Amino acid sequence: MHEYSVTKSLVELCNQEADKNNLRTISTIHLKVGRFTGFSANSIEFYFARLKADTKCSNAKIVFEEIPIKIACQACGEENEIDEPILLCPDCGSDRIDLLTGREFFVASIEGEE
Amino acid sequence: MKKVNVLKPVLVSNQQRAKENRRFFDKIHSLVINIIASPGAGKTSFIKKIVEHFKNRYSILVIEGDIKGQIDSQAISMLNVDVIQINTATECHLDAFMTAQVIPQIEKEYDLVLVENVGNLVCPAEFEIGEDYKLAILSTPEGDDKPIKYPLVFHLAKVVVINKTDLIPHLDFNIPQAKKRIKMENPGSMIYEVSAKTGSGFEALYEHIEKEINAKQEDKD
Repeated sequence: MHEYSVTKSLVELCNQEADKNNLRTISTIHLKVGRFTGFSANSIEFYFARLKADTKCSNAKIVFEEIPIKIACQACGEENEIDEPILLCPDCGSDRIDLLTGREFFVASIEGEE
Repeated sequence: MKKVNVLKPVLVSNQQRAKENRRFFDKIHSLVINIIASPGAGKTSFIKKIVEHFKNRYSILVIEGDIKGQIDSQAISMLNVDVIQINTATECHLDAFMTAQVIPQIEKEYDLVLVENVGNLVCPAEFEIGEDYKLAILSTPEGDDKPIKYPLVFHLAKVVVINKTDLIPHLDFNIPQAKKRIKMENPGSMIYEVSAKTGSGFEALYEHIEKEINAKQEDKD
């Protein structure tokens, strides 16, 4: 349910970027969402449909790109992609883990008309 | 058609605001703890214990985040410490902007600022408010599987408090299992087992918080 305020921030950010770059309208928003975040694409779409009205995003669609959870083990040096955010090395079982990706939530780019 | 690379976090404005809040709290040398837990996990009872223990030695501010009502802030103000209530209305979490809105009400330096976030294990995790760290409370009736079901909050919390340990004889809650699951999300987390009802287990936590308050005070000199 926190996607309401998140989507509001998304629309604001995209409108600001459009203003800065002289875009009249936005047609596509490329959004990257890590799997280790609490954001649901469906909820973002739901609020986006309502919040985009009367903004430069009013005809925009969001293209979601999911970023997997990737970890590196400090003990054995292996890197692994994991489905669930369990920070244990699948190879050696160590808990000395660096989280490489999965926490991203950012606008990669926007497309639109000048 | 023009393509513009943005490469900015969606919550960039919240993150910036959180940094400004943090600068404010650092300036007044406050240790700020963002307390996150499910509804009914015992956040307010936990805060009361901390307040009662420290209030004669340190100046304390409690910021209460609730969707509606003042019931918690009224309970805390009975302890004669300063309380600020934030009602989030439709929002399920506190964010940096809501916190910034009450900063003008902070008129003196506090050693310890305890922020009770809205009862929820999901949303509050994603929004920084300007805290030093997040403290998550897991109460035993919720079950020892919660770190698996809500991994993010346990990943981000530096301190995890297992509360209501007095109820364990009546429950299937397995403490070693819970601790193992918390560590699977954050191997570095510090875990304390307490009962806010009986007061058991708080000594180690008091010691921990006192050290952190003192470290903040040292920055003063």
